[in-house]
Amino acid sequence: MTADQAGFRTASPRGFLTLGRTVAVPVRRVSVVTALVLVLLTAGAATATLTLGRLGIPLADLAGALTGGAEGKDAFVLERLRGPRLVVALGTGAALGLSGALFQSVTRNPLGSPDVIGLGSGAGAGAAIVALMLPDTVPVSLGALAGALLAMLLVYVSTGTGFRNPARLVVAGIGVAAVCTAITQYVVYAMERDQASVLAAYVNGSLSARAWDDASAIWLVLLAAAPLCALIARRLDIGEMGDDIAAGLGSEPQKTKTAAVLLAIVLCAGAVSVAGPIAFIALTAPQIAKRLTRVSGPHLLLSAVTGALLLVLADLAAQQLPLFDNLPVGIYTMAIGGAYLGYLLTREWRRGVL
Amino acid sequence: MATTTHAPPSGAGTSRTGAARRASILILGLAVLALALCASVMYGSRSTSFGDVVDVLSGAADPNITTIIESRYPRTALGVLAGLCLAVAGTLMQGVSRNPLADPGLLGINAGASASIVTATAFFGATGSTATMWWALPGALIAGVLVHVIGSSGGSTGLVRLVLAGAVLSAVLMAYIQAVTLGRPKVFDSYRYWVVGALGGRDFDVFMSVLPFAATGFVIALVLGPGLNTLALGDATAASLGAHPARVRAGGLFAATLLSAAATAAVGPIAFVGLAVPHVVRVLVGVDFRLQIAFSAIAGPTLLLAADVVGRIVLRPQELMVGVVTAFIGAPALLIAVRRMRGSA
Repeated sequence: MTADQAGFRTASPRGFLTLGRTVAVPVRRVSVVTALVLVLLTAGAATATLTLGRLGIPLADLAGALTGGAEGKDAFVLERLRGPRLVVALGTGAALGLSGALFQSVTRNPLGSPDVIGLGSGAGAGAAIVALMLPDTVPVSLGALAGALLAMLLVYVSTGTGFRNPARLVVAGIGVAAVCTAITQYVVYAMERDQASVLAAYVNGSLSARAWDDASAIWLVLLAAAPLCALIARRLDIGEMGDDIAAGLGSEPQKTKTAAVLLAIVLCAGAVSVAGPIAFIALTAPQIAKRLTRVSGPHLLLSAVTGALLLVLADLAAQQLPLFDNLPVGIYTMAIGGAYLGYLLTREWRRGVL
Repeated sequence: MATTTHAPPSGAGTSRTGAARRASILILGLAVLALALCASVMYGSRSTSFGDVVDVLSGAADPNITTIIESRYPRTALGVLAGLCLAVAGTLMQGVSRNPLADPGLLGINAGASASIVTATAFFGATGSTATMWWALPGALIAGVLVHVIGSSGGSTGLVRLVLAGAVLSAVLMAYIQAVTLGRPKVFDSYRYWVVGALGGRDFDVFMSVLPFAATGFVIALVLGPGLNTLALGDATAASLGAHPARVRAGGLFAATLLSAAATAAVGPIAFVGLAVPHVVRVLVGVDFRLQIAFSAIAGPTLLLAADVVGRIVLRPQELMVGVVTAFIGAPALLIAVRRMRGSA
């Protein structure tokens, strides 16, 4: 973060952090401050995740434990239980936030998110089919991945206009989601109760019992995608002014869009394959990021940090709220995200956008 | 669409050829429905022939065959009732909101009924389909009203708004349902059997307990037919013709909610029947709502029974639930409709 700030102050009076001629990440003072605050909040939430509860590592011992001094129960909690889960939550949340920001920037549509276009339900159906038809041979997460991609393809094809038209997008998404949900419900019906409830938890998106394998998977996806996102960030920023202006300024809008959608799909698919279809993070994180800074642009970095914060908070609730025991984290994000979506819709309507 | 392109406030049978055409559609519709009824009692894990059905009806069949065929009566009756309810509810909702996408399932009514039923089984120990029915109704009603309130906030009720509002409410209610069911194996068990939407495994008691609601809703729908025709001309014109748009709308919403709550409580949430049937019917008989409602009452049961029979045949000896089959039929129809949507927003 310090390097970013230095770059911001010295190299780029116009608010871009540049690296050679191709990379130009929009960095504004308000964004940097917001990002710092969000990182601090995330660190706080992460600390709470590790320390709270019966199995929590005492706050006084946390620093020691993190630097390798954990023993006995603390070591087990840090290395096997909450450590990997927290790292997966951070990575998945960031991936979803980034994916949502890319989608919304390309579609110029606050609803153009993986959730609305049926990606989550597609992943659920894919997972369900694999769990029923090919148990033990194909991992459920692979089925989720395939289902998500297929659902997205279906929506893309059936709108006839790609992801651009919000009304068509939403309705097609609802249609695809309805079929996928029907499949999932049938499989949940057809299975043994114990298997069915495991599957029901998975199709809501869950972070329980995640291992370091999952953590490295999602972080690899994230690290691979991040530089590419940085490469297209400036072009996306220009693209938000409209295709004609973007073309006039020499950035090829169609290429940028294709690249951004592909990146968004890779990120979202990565998230789905480790954590299942977690609802609404991709939709809400960019919106929140946008409202926090009130400047234009795709807010890639901020959305990623916001996504990580939201998911860590939701997972903290999933682990510690006494009201419901051991609920999958996706249920918390669904409830909160649904309420937020409602708020968002009423706002859009007042402004006459939809 | 072929016969009339404008809304006739009074004249259904204005033209003689139109009346003849509608009469032939009516006869054809009834014939197809009769076929679907026959198929529904004939096919299953143990299939019988048409001759067997005739024998049973005339009392001349052997007892085994009679038992098999009679065991399919309740699900057939439920199919007729639920199909009628869903299709008429869809017609009413599309008329009231002038929104071609309105459907009980998309508008949060299913989620409301589900949430209510889950609450009842988890916290009040409700069991049995009759008790379920009594719980589904208020849930569906509250959800239906809520979606309309959210959907019409800040101005007129637009094409997509109600659907979105329904999606939002459904999301929140689904979170609640999952939260309650995942921690309680018994509730989860009964919920997962209910939510998939099936006609089988239910007895005549269910039919009888939802019948009053369905009948009330249907009668209101028939009474509202002329009012809905007037509404189609626009609120200002309707008011100047002496109609009461607000009353018609409230009545239509109430009847649609009664009907879809009855169907949902009886057989679980079934998607797309309420969405697809009105579109087909409108193409066949035109824009007169009195005809639309009557023909929906024939086409809905036909579609649902046909879907149920298909579900019984494709995976034999297992069954595919009717809700799954209708989703597979309905979603492509919706996607085709999306491609034809006009406008950029």
